[in-house]
Amino acid sequence: MKQTAGEKIFQMINYLLLAAASATMLMPLVHLLAVSLSSPIAADSKLVFMLPVEFTTASWVHIFQNKGLWSSFGITVYITIIGTLLSMLFSVLTAYPLAHKEFLARKPIMLGIIVTMIFNAPLIPFFLTVRELGMMNSLWSLILPGLIGTFNMIIIRTFFMGLPSELYDSARIDGCNDAGVLFRIYLPLSKPVLATVSLFYAVGYWNTFQRAVLFIRNPQKWPLQVKLRAYLTSPEELASVNLALGDYDFNTTTLKAATILFATIPIVLVYPYLQKYFVKGSMLGSLKE
Amino acid sequence: MLYVMVLPGLLFYLVFKYVPLAGSAIAFQKYQIFKGMMGSEWVGLDNFKFIFTYRDFYHVLRNTATIALYHLVFGFPAPIVLALLLNELRIVLAKRVIQSLFYLPHFLSWVVVGGIVFELLSAQGMANMIRGWLGLEPILFMQEQAYFRTIVVLSGIWKEVGWGTIIYLAAIAGINPNLYEAAVMDGAGRWQQTMHITLPAMFPTILVLFLLNIGNFLELGFDQIYNLLTPMTYSVGDIIETYVYRSGVLQGQYSVTTAIGLFQSVIGFVLLWVFNRMARKTEQGLW
Repeated sequence: MKQTAGEKIFQMINYLLLAAASATMLMPLVHLLAVSLSSPIAADSKLVFMLPVEFTTASWVHIFQNKGLWSSFGITVYITIIGTLLSMLFSVLTAYPLAHKEFLARKPIMLGIIVTMIFNAPLIPFFLTVRELGMMNSLWSLILPGLIGTFNMIIIRTFFMGLPSELYDSARIDGCNDAGVLFRIYLPLSKPVLATVSLFYAVGYWNTFQRAVLFIRNPQKWPLQVKLRAYLTSPEELASVNLALGDYDFNTTTLKAATILFATIPIVLVYPYLQKYFVKGSMLGSLKE
Repeated sequence: MLYVMVLPGLLFYLVFKYVPLAGSAIAFQKYQIFKGMMGSEWVGLDNFKFIFTYRDFYHVLRNTATIALYHLVFGFPAPIVLALLLNELRIVLAKRVIQSLFYLPHFLSWVVVGGIVFELLSAQGMANMIRGWLGLEPILFMQEQAYFRTIVVLSGIWKEVGWGTIIYLAAIAGINPNLYEAAVMDGAGRWQQTMHITLPAMFPTILVLFLLNIGNFLELGFDQIYNLLTPMTYSVGDIIETYVYRSGVLQGQYSVTTAIGLFQSVIGFVLLWVFNRMARKTEQGLW
């Protein structure tokens, strides 16, 4: 197809524009990486842009030795694994009956669920409920109150509804009960959507912040994001040595940069795998009714 | 059997969605923590009367509404524009790479993004570095009230714009190619194709997302504001969610802050209802 001059110019500008905009997505992370690998003097005198100046890994060594950070990391890994597994189990169990037209209670239950999407309970009654259940300072408070993400559950349900009903019928004739159909037939066929939704849940648990701020008052039990926030707002604790006393190859600027990236590394590492799935998966739930 | 399977899910919705919803009744009480909901005194609309005479409330409401409006005006169209621009790219690989970079920030937490923002805008951060090259004085962006809302809106766009394009790109991908061919036959250029085919085809999607947005109009998201707010910027940045957290959860003003929360939900629902009615006049609404 022939292009007019105007279209060619537009194409060029568009490429430049999008390239520049996508560079701003990456540049902050690269800049922080450079800062975290630079000497404190260079970092504080605005010499570090995209490349480290006076290269040193001192701040990374220091935060890798920080026990508080690792224990929070452990807590986050724990709630991410347990939470994702439980969320998937609950979501799948809920989505399966709701995907069946013959299930008589389907309509009222769906209605009841949609209502909770429109009318969100205010924060305080939610907070009081969780507290009444005795979950303050318990890691369960980070998992149970958000066990089912309604949107995620609907994505799974939509996928189940798209499976051919002959599958279900023939399995039933062969003597399979509903649990059998779900676990032996539906789930193996739903791997891509299950992977997508698991990743959504996992990222959600990894990034848990508000619930932890609400329910976890004991700093020993803080998940990574809350710990991170505490370190970023009072970097002295992060240093854990008196910087004024010694000659260190790090300071609060380089430590903060390293800490921010520390929490980002796992996400960036799984990102390539994640990306394969999420585009397809998130469209599944949104387009069909 | 199906009933047994759906039971755990029902239990979840009952305990963590409906019980708190019923618990909103404490907005009509003088709730006392030791007496519980049963023993606390009912006071009718007193809490609501109180918040409407309360200066802090107007203050916080104004901040919330202003930031929400900025989000809607600048944040909502951003993914639409981006999706249209991405759609014009002809090199598939470039399109993929650019999209991947745009999706990435969605997966970072607001603590991380807040940290990044603070670092970039600090006295020795990247923004002031660039100002230095241009011979300009450094600015402490995060402590200046004048910049706070801009920072909130821009960081929100930075984090979510790529993610927001997914659904729009899907809508574009679903357009019948024959339409474009016919338009080309009739002599339409790329611009005309965009204006007369792509955009109208996206419109139903835009409308649905707009309505969903309106329903949560005043819910800006606690994580973002909490992680960007400093005591210096409270006057322009303190929103309902951060205020309810501080004075409700931390200071135990349960009834009053629940009333504020209920007010917020009701406004959201009313807006949704109104806009949905308007939407149904032209196209399909949400219901």
